[in-house]
Amino acid sequence: MNYAVLRIPDFALHALRRSEPALAGRPVALSTGEGRKAILTEVAPEAAGIAPGFTVTLAMARCPGIVLRTRDPDAEIEAQRLLLAAAFTLAPRVEATAAGCCTVDLQGAQADRTEAAVRQRLAELARAGLPARAGVAATPLLAGYAARSADPVLVVRDPARFLQSLPLAVAEPSAAQAEILRSWGLKTLGDLTALAKADVGQRLGAEGVALWERAAGETARVLRLVEPTKSFVAAWTYEPPVESVEPLLFKLRRFAERIAFELRAASLVAEALTLTLLLEDETDHRRNFRLPEPGADVESWLRVMQTHLDSLRTAARVSGVRLSAAPARPPIRQDGLFETGLTDPQAFWENLARLGAVVGDARVGTPVLCDSHRPDAFILEKPPETVPAPAPPPLHPPRGPVLRRFRPPRSVRVLLEEERPVAVTGPLTGRLCAATGPWRVSGEWWMPGSWAVETWQVELAAGGLYQLARTAEGWWLEGVLD
Amino acid sequence: MAHPPTLSALRSLVAARFPTATRKHGRCIPTGVAGLDEALGGGLPAGKLTELVSAAASSGGQLVLARLLAATRAARQRVALIDGADGFAPEAVATDALRHLVWVRAHNLEEALAAADVLVRDGNYAVVAIDLRGIAERVLRRTPAPSWHRLQRAAEGRPGAVLVQTPFALVPAVPWRLALRASASLAQRRRPQAELAAELAVERVRGHVTAEEKAG
Repeated sequence: MNYAVLRIPDFALHALRRSEPALAGRPVALSTGEGRKAILTEVAPEAAGIAPGFTVTLAMARCPGIVLRTRDPDAEIEAQRLLLAAAFTLAPRVEATAAGCCTVDLQGAQADRTEAAVRQRLAELARAGLPARAGVAATPLLAGYAARSADPVLVVRDPARFLQSLPLAVAEPSAAQAEILRSWGLKTLGDLTALAKADVGQRLGAEGVALWERAAGETARVLRLVEPTKSFVAAWTYEPPVESVEPLLFKLRRFAERIAFELRAASLVAEALTLTLLLEDETDHRRNFRLPEPGADVESWLRVMQTHLDSLRTAARVSGVRLSAAPARPPIRQDGLFETGLTDPQAFWENLARLGAVVGDARVGTPVLCDSHRPDAFILEKPPETVPAPAPPPLHPPRGPVLRRFRPPRSVRVLLEEERPVAVTGPLTGRLCAATGPWRVSGEWWMPGSWAVETWQVELAAGGLYQLARTAEGWWLEGVLD
Repeated sequence: MAHPPTLSALRSLVAARFPTATRKHGRCIPTGVAGLDEALGGGLPAGKLTELVSAAASSGGQLVLARLLAATRAARQRVALIDGADGFAPEAVATDALRHLVWVRAHNLEEALAAADVLVRDGNYAVVAIDLRGIAERVLRRTPAPSWHRLQRAAEGRPGAVLVQTPFALVPAVPWRLALRASASLAQRRRPQAELAAELAVERVRGHVTAEEKAG
């Protein structure tokens, strides 16, 4: 079992349906043109009573609800890239045999695992909107024959027996050859190979020999290999422009499915996604999503993008969309025996992204104090993967009630006696029964943004501990000591 | 006394049909505040909401939060703080007690509840603390009761505990409501926080420790 052929029957039709959600479940047919005399080339199974070769007029008469479309080259390119990406996840040597068909060189692969891997890949392609068939055999030709009659996978273990019953058309005889063979009463490949190769050559010439060899599965050929993609980008232009999230999400899902396959084929994951929306007014909206957990999971990518898109308002309609993934090596980490990691890392990072959409990315994270004496100086960092071991207890444990800040601090008026606060008015009003301070700190005096603050802790006679701050601008109620 | 067979069968049936409703959540997350842990029968109950009311200005709600951060840090558990009024002061807590904290700085009550809805369903946190102190009373009173019921349903069956800090009794039908009554004085400012926390007076307003929980 050295080769596998992945083939998508009615490729152009499936590529179109994969690209347009409105065509799902509807009777669709592809025609050669837009005139009433155009011929149908591919017909969806939902379109009852018609078949390829019918004229448009006849098709519309027989199937009144039919949706007639012409081929969409962009959709076919996108579908072909998905098919090739899926093939590259099986083996690195892949040939783009035809539109909707590729051949994979599986030499060296373990035979017992090949069929299961191919089946899994077909299932993933089907979920991505491309119902493929696969044939696995000793030669590319045989695998191709098998793919035509597979449902969904056919492994050819006995080529002679397999070929015996296949119709002659599988070997693709010319029209003249087909006519001659029909006149001889030959219907299957087995009928043809029952004749001696030399006799067929005598009567049909070199073309006849080539046909006999194809019928016997003897033809061997060298694959014309293609290179896997190195750029993980997908783009689409909407005609007409769209103004809701649904069509965007549908297209982004299709992009994500293909890019995820391409990343997997290259043994990579995405560490960031860049979404660009091209707007009708010729501006664009670009958003970079740095994935906290690098991966190739389509659903998690979509959740991150949907969270952003749900809250996005653009000045004009969206005329195009582009998605690119920044590739990275998959993170490899060995868990320590006593590490307390995340029980569900995917949910953790996704939920952080959701929270970022709710309160703003800059307002979620683990606080880290800045190396400064400036009050309220901290930054929010990405939370650690694992909670590190606690540090030894500090030499000077925290003392006293804990400050809860008012952000921004509230302006108050303070009555002083002998340079000490005795009463406060404003958002907080009352006599003070005790006050400690002042603690003076200042910094960055060598820079334009120099600061200086004098802090007091006070107790209201009516109850309650508060922190006051005095700056050049006046007195401020910084927070409550709780 | 043995229960009649029909009652046992009925209990088994209910347990099989409604596993969430009948599951016993024995796990508690100690807060590091003796009075609070004692009132709760060991700590914040997992899978439930606990409301801590701090009616007075300096009654110790922030001290409870600081001790909770220290206790969970020692146990290497992850904590989320949804800060409804953006009042948390990181410099007021030991630096090392911040490493396991995810701080969500909400702008208003709506954002805080939306964040809570996300975090309570996330199984990575031992405690989700929702601090609603500092939000105007009229805004808090407008919170629709279904928001709280939804949060309680979301917490059920989860491994983490949910602590809601409020300035007055707010959460309807909350399983546990505790209140901090006393107010601190400036004379306490030099005493270690561990000592202050040990002396915090915690009043149990709602909820009780079952015999099973006492035993377990």
